[in-house]
Amino acid sequence: MTSAHPVAERGGTAGRGIFSRVAHALRVIVRYPTGAIGLFLLALFVIVALIGPLIAPYGPFDVVRTPQGGVARLVPPGSVALLGTTNQGSDVLSQLLYGTRVALLVGVIAAVGSVVLGTMIGLVSGYAGGKVDEAIMRFTDVAFGIPFLPFALIVISVAGASLPLVILLVTLFLWRTTSRVIRAQVLTLKTRPFVWAARAAGASESRILFVHIAPNVLPLSFLYMAIGVQGGVMLEAALSFLGFGDPNVMSWGGMLNQSFRAGAMRSAWWWVIPPGVALSLFVISVFMVTRAYEELLNPRMREA
Amino acid sequence: MNGLRWYLLRRLVLLLFVTAAVLTILFVMFKLLPGNPLSVFIDSNFSEEMIRRQKQLWGLDAPLWLQYVRYMWNMLTFSFGTSFFQMTPVRDIVIEKLLHTAAMIVPAVVLSVVLGALLGSWLGWRRGSRQEGAVVVGLLALRSVPSFFVGIIVLMVFSYNLGWFPPGGMVSIGGQGDSFLETILSLDFLHHLILPCLVLMTREITSPALLLRSTMLEVKGSDFLDILRAKGLPERRIVMHATRNALLPLVTDVAVMMGFLFQGQVLLEIIFAWPGVGRELVAALNDLDYPVAQACFFVMALIILLFNFVADVLYAFIDPRVALS
Repeated sequence: MTSAHPVAERGGTAGRGIFSRVAHALRVIVRYPTGAIGLFLLALFVIVALIGPLIAPYGPFDVVRTPQGGVARLVPPGSVALLGTTNQGSDVLSQLLYGTRVALLVGVIAAVGSVVLGTMIGLVSGYAGGKVDEAIMRFTDVAFGIPFLPFALIVISVAGASLPLVILLVTLFLWRTTSRVIRAQVLTLKTRPFVWAARAAGASESRILFVHIAPNVLPLSFLYMAIGVQGGVMLEAALSFLGFGDPNVMSWGGMLNQSFRAGAMRSAWWWVIPPGVALSLFVISVFMVTRAYEELLNPRMREA
Repeated sequence: MNGLRWYLLRRLVLLLFVTAAVLTILFVMFKLLPGNPLSVFIDSNFSEEMIRRQKQLWGLDAPLWLQYVRYMWNMLTFSFGTSFFQMTPVRDIVIEKLLHTAAMIVPAVVLSVVLGALLGSWLGWRRGSRQEGAVVVGLLALRSVPSFFVGIIVLMVFSYNLGWFPPGGMVSIGGQGDSFLETILSLDFLHHLILPCLVLMTREITSPALLLRSTMLEVKGSDFLDILRAKGLPERRIVMHATRNALLPLVTDVAVMMGFLFQGQVLLEIIFAWPGVGRELVAALNDLDYPVAQACFFVMALIILLFNFVADVLYAFIDPRVALS
């Protein structure tokens, strides 16, 4: 928490400093080789998510035709399709490009939602203390007692699969860790001298919490947001792989589900490897960035 | 000792509270969500009278609070009713599947912990070296690759291409022993176990290794090692002494890991066609066999809660300061 004090002393200017702090964090991350590579890969994924549908040669469910006019089923990578086709004659490359958008959509929305939720809950719980804290923490215990994947499978099978529902479920899964970590952070922050000073100066409780304490937990929130994007993408892939994803969109997990069920592991590696590699590469690149960012937040890790 | 007793009591109350809350959520989920379990079972040819009788049979005509009380009682006494489709008691199905899941998880956890601990103590001892840094980053990166994709790759290579291992299942057709014990003691079972076990280990070895690495660092600085060194013991023996002292925190880690794996292995059970509780849950949901799905969910949640409870208790015994704070 290197930036804790300067921000706190500047008080109300914390909101203005956010962009410069993000820029500072990025500069530090890039200094680590893993962080730079991770950031580069992530940027690629974001670009593909944005323009993927524009550069994709086909739609995700379109049928590719062979030069003779027949349906191009399970064609290996080559001139007909760059990454080959599925058993339905869809283009693997196009599905991959569209899938990137789905993955990032789920990951980003769920991560932002869960971090906002988790940070608010952690802030209130840690700062209020007493009965409020006790109640919120027991509620968190209950949330931790629910095995996510089985829970999500049941909800989806009863309520019907859709992308918004998947995002909602992932959000409900991710906020728990964030709120515990933020609460622990608030517990130490609220005993710091700058909080006493603010109180002595007559600041209201909500002002102390949101203007003085909150900016100091934001770096941690950002870390959990990044981890949340990773978790969200993985969980969406897991649900889709099990056949509980939105049937109207094609995600990486959905591709793996269809190729798995069609027995492509045996016969059509080009249908299995690309979505799996994309998923793994995305997860690893987030991991590399968060690891560099963690070292920024926790200098002790650096000397270790 | 008083503080410890008070702590254990608090943990026990919390366990009961969370279990009840999870059960209540499960109840509400099945009651409130759109989609009616009854509609699965009831054919459109059923007459009003037949539907009424079926509802009565399942107690669905009772007021909601009574349904809730009956449901809680049934769940807590493990009376899960009868499967819609298999027409056998759900309890029998769930117990069988749980044993299958355990047969995959327990060996993987034991191996991960033993090998992870060895690796971790080596890492802690070699702290700061280039190999240490590379291994730690490698472990973390390996853990972040989705294990179901690792499973798919492993199957493609070792089963479909090289033909060294069977492409899934727990035993070959006809290889089922007369008892569960006989089944899991067969070579055929071992042959089926190796791949899923290895895939689980790629994930699970990380946390014992990292944990032991950091505890090892603490232990490494302690005085008794200097005494051993002064006695002239070889470095290898000193590492063994240090490891033994660093092992304690691992115990709680194992408990948490076991609990988590009972829900986390769903994907691997699907990929390796392993007839465990996670695969049963997915199958039950696809068949809309709600009594089985409900029971599978409940036992998975319960196992996680129990293992977490065990972890808390063990931790209090290992480090009494926890109970006092």
